[in-house]
Amino acid sequence: MKNLDKRLFRLIKLTKGQYIAVLLIVITGIFVFTAVKNSALNLNDTLNDYYNSTNFADVFVTAVSIPKDISTKLIGEANIAEVEERLVFDTLFITDDSDKKVNVRVVSVEAQEDNINKLFMKSGKRSLTSKDIIIIDQFAAARNIKVGDEVKLQISGRQYLFKVSGIASSPEYVYIMENEQTLLPEPSEFGVVFIEESYLMKIAQTNGNYNELVLKVKDEKKLEKTVDYLKSYLDKYGVKRVIKRDEQLSNSMIHEEINGLEKVSQSIPVVFLLFSGIMLSSMLSRIVKKDRTSIGVLKALGFTDIEIIIHYLKYAASIGFVGGLVGSLIGTALSGGMTNIYLDFFNIPMLTIKVYYSRIALSIVLSLIFCVLSGMWGIRGIIKINPAESMLPEAPKKGKRILLEKFKFLWRRLPFSWKIIFRNIFREKRKFVFIGAAVAVTCGMMIMTLWMNDIIDVMFIRHYNEFSIMEYNVVFNSFKDKKTKMEVEKLVNSSVIEGKVELPFEIYNKDKSKIVNVIGLEKNTVFYNFKDIDGYDLELPDEGILISSNLATFLNVNKGDKILLKNFIPDKDDDYVTIKGIIKQSLGINGYMNIDYLNAKFLDIGIINGVYLNSKEDVESKLNSIKNISSIQSQNDMIGIFEEFTGLIAVTIGVMIIFSGILGFVIMYSMTLMSINERTLEFSSLRVMGFTQNEIFQMIVKENMIMSLLGIIIGIPLGKYLVDYLSKTFSTDIYTMSEPITLQGIIISIIITIIFLILAQMMTYVKIHKLNFIDSLKSRIS
Amino acid sequence: MLRIENISKYYKMGEVTVKALEDVSFEVKKGEFVVILGPSGSGKSTLLNILGGMDTPSSGKVYFNDVLITNMTNKELTMYRRKKIGFVFQFYNLLSTLTARENVELAAEICDDSIEIDDVIESVGLSERIDHFPSQMSGGEQQRVAIARAVAKNPMILLCDEPTGALDFETGISILKVLKNVNIKYNNTVIVITHNSPIAQMADKVIKMRSGKITDIIINSDPIPAERIEW
Repeated sequence: MKNLDKRLFRLIKLTKGQYIAVLLIVITGIFVFTAVKNSALNLNDTLNDYYNSTNFADVFVTAVSIPKDISTKLIGEANIAEVEERLVFDTLFITDDSDKKVNVRVVSVEAQEDNINKLFMKSGKRSLTSKDIIIIDQFAAARNIKVGDEVKLQISGRQYLFKVSGIASSPEYVYIMENEQTLLPEPSEFGVVFIEESYLMKIAQTNGNYNELVLKVKDEKKLEKTVDYLKSYLDKYGVKRVIKRDEQLSNSMIHEEINGLEKVSQSIPVVFLLFSGIMLSSMLSRIVKKDRTSIGVLKALGFTDIEIIIHYLKYAASIGFVGGLVGSLIGTALSGGMTNIYLDFFNIPMLTIKVYYSRIALSIVLSLIFCVLSGMWGIRGIIKINPAESMLPEAPKKGKRILLEKFKFLWRRLPFSWKIIFRNIFREKRKFVFIGAAVAVTCGMMIMTLWMNDIIDVMFIRHYNEFSIMEYNVVFNSFKDKKTKMEVEKLVNSSVIEGKVELPFEIYNKDKSKIVNVIGLEKNTVFYNFKDIDGYDLELPDEGILISSNLATFLNVNKGDKILLKNFIPDKDDDYVTIKGIIKQSLGINGYMNIDYLNAKFLDIGIINGVYLNSKEDVESKLNSIKNISSIQSQNDMIGIFEEFTGLIAVTIGVMIIFSGILGFVIMYSMTLMSINERTLEFSSLRVMGFTQNEIFQMIVKENMIMSLLGIIIGIPLGKYLVDYLSKTFSTDIYTMSEPITLQGIIISIIITIIFLILAQMMTYVKIHKLNFIDSLKSRIS
Repeated sequence: MLRIENISKYYKMGEVTVKALEDVSFEVKKGEFVVILGPSGSGKSTLLNILGGMDTPSSGKVYFNDVLITNMTNKELTMYRRKKIGFVFQFYNLLSTLTARENVELAAEICDDSIEIDDVIESVGLSERIDHFPSQMSGGEQQRVAIARAVAKNPMILLCDEPTGALDFETGISILKVLKNVNIKYNNTVIVITHNSPIAQMADKVIKMRSGKITDIIINSDPIPAERIEW
């Protein structure tokens, strides 16, 4: 090994505290990048493999009634390659617990293998006879159903017994949600079952007609053409929805997650690498400054500038290489586990975990380039060092009065130690700005993290306790007249009950369109509290529509604009409706209209397809016997699901807090260490004058305290900015994150930030006590 | 070997021009032991830096073996320092994170025809303490390492800037002895700058300086050994 390299290793050893600090930040950045990015890639690969092996459909059609021979007519038309008809409906799953209404989605399948959306058998057999049933994995696991068990379903008012012949996963139900409003899966409350087609058609009494189609296309690029064709061709069969694979609920949820991971992999590592770059640059610049005489000696010995630059760049490169290697290896190792957690959550029965060697190499190269560039910036002063001048003692820093000294009245009253503190801050502006920035980012990230924690809470509370406050949402299996409402009223002792219509429409504004459920509510409804985006109360208008803010943003519409509501019900007209208000809604994407207005304009007067009610009674058991009811959703169920979900969130939040804390801790620790190392001469003089070690430590703490305070003050608006960014980036059809940061969140963030900073200061306290200040007053050895 | 012709060096300090060297000319022959003698501020360090290619004159020429070094580029000057010059500084300036041996090896590594390290170490009388770090050595020992470091490169000229300036009398004498030994053993030219006039007694040539000018050049036909010097 060359002696200059030996010197490098000893230099690293000598500055190990700061070296490890920067390394830690690089490792964290690269680790987050690799782990999250690989998880996203693994998840995507796994999903694609799963979709390919099961021939997942490209287009999904829901209609009122589709004749049996439709597939032969469609294949070959408008880019259509394969078509399968099926019957799909939600029905009651009979359990021993009569208090609980459990729904399942019944899907008709071929007796043998399907061509599209093939089932992935986990156990049992795929072939079905009349009274066999295949149960979806998540539901079977949640309800402890095994192959050979018998289950009972209520179909067309009658109960049927089925023998479980298999447990399977379906590419269509990777993430099981009853509809867009449910947000979280509850596998014991809602499942999917698969029954042989001819038998199901018989018992469901559909007269040989289907209500859904799944299709594969020849060329995915021409998907729009296929969708337009299907909408128009199937109009006569009462087409309700034609959705592309991208919009399919389960698929879109998992892609939201993959996109979220992609965004995280792009944003958080950048923050970490940026700070490590600044730290590394500042650290090397100080090392070079300290090594001024040694550099002069090397130059005098005949080393070229390039050789000396390479010597110091190796320091930066070693951080880049080790950080990139360790970070990407940890990230790759953990991404397998992380993907597994996702797969459990999403229920994908196969797992494709690849070791992305190219990504490890890319991480190392990226981190290497980043560190070397930062290092080059830090050591650029080497070229300016003149060997002859470097042998002379460095001229003392130019002392000049600082701004604060102009306020003589104030300055005169400051104790001596505070004067030193303020002078240091003003003279080393860059260093202190960096500390302030690090504290600001730490505090901002804490605020964002705690907001993320709060927002889930607030979104649910806002939605279920303030916005949509019915205790029960009862859905009928078809349109009924108001007698059904009275029937429910008779059975349940409800304090208040209202009929409703909930109907999907494709809403258009020029070339933009979105399929959403529009809910028709009674005038003066007590179950919804509408507020505009500024928080002011809104009444449900007699005419026109209220739409959720995420829909307004998507369609790019404002209050007063007219939007076209395209009706999926056969023989019913489409029509324009005026937007009377844009409302805040944290969960789901909807429109709200007066039920009479909606019925008059799009349906028939006096009909409903569900009721909202409040009751102290056990509504689910009382309504079990009504055959017209398709589902009953209680608010308590939703809260229960939410509580389970928060456990999962807590882990993520914890990791985020630790990452943010590491950033603040490491920067504060290493910058303080740098400060101590460079100012030993100054501190030694103070010690000679009689200052104690504690007094000197207090001076450092006070300097950092002032900058930390500024950092925290800046961190609050920064946190707000991050929250706004996150709100915009992560708001989807399923949820809208529009809640402001709470004062409590800010206070807790500040407290956590301060705890991390105190920890960093405590570490440097140890360092200060170990330093022999008197030694540095002795003659120099370069 | 070295020909210095009308060297001047000016520094601008604010609005005042400081003349560090003014019209300095002399010659140094191969194998000579030269002492440049002068009080503090006489310009001797500036002169040494120019001779070593660490600084450039404002005017005048320096020839090394008839090659003009004063118009060399930075890169050429680096190569000149690397191959021809060895420096010994008043405060030793060893690299603190390398041991004595490693400091010497470091210099030898960048030269094509360096001298055997152990031989050099033995010449400066440091064989026992060779694996110590500078902080574990006395000033005299550190200066021996610095001399070994300069000699290991097998330079044609050894430039020593107040090599005894930071040492006590006895250690200073021992360092002068080492320099003389090296001068004889490796037949390289040694130029020592000092303000300590008794040292001039051991030189083949003494160049006296005051206020940036040469006041006298004395050829010493009978230099005395270092151990006989007293101050």
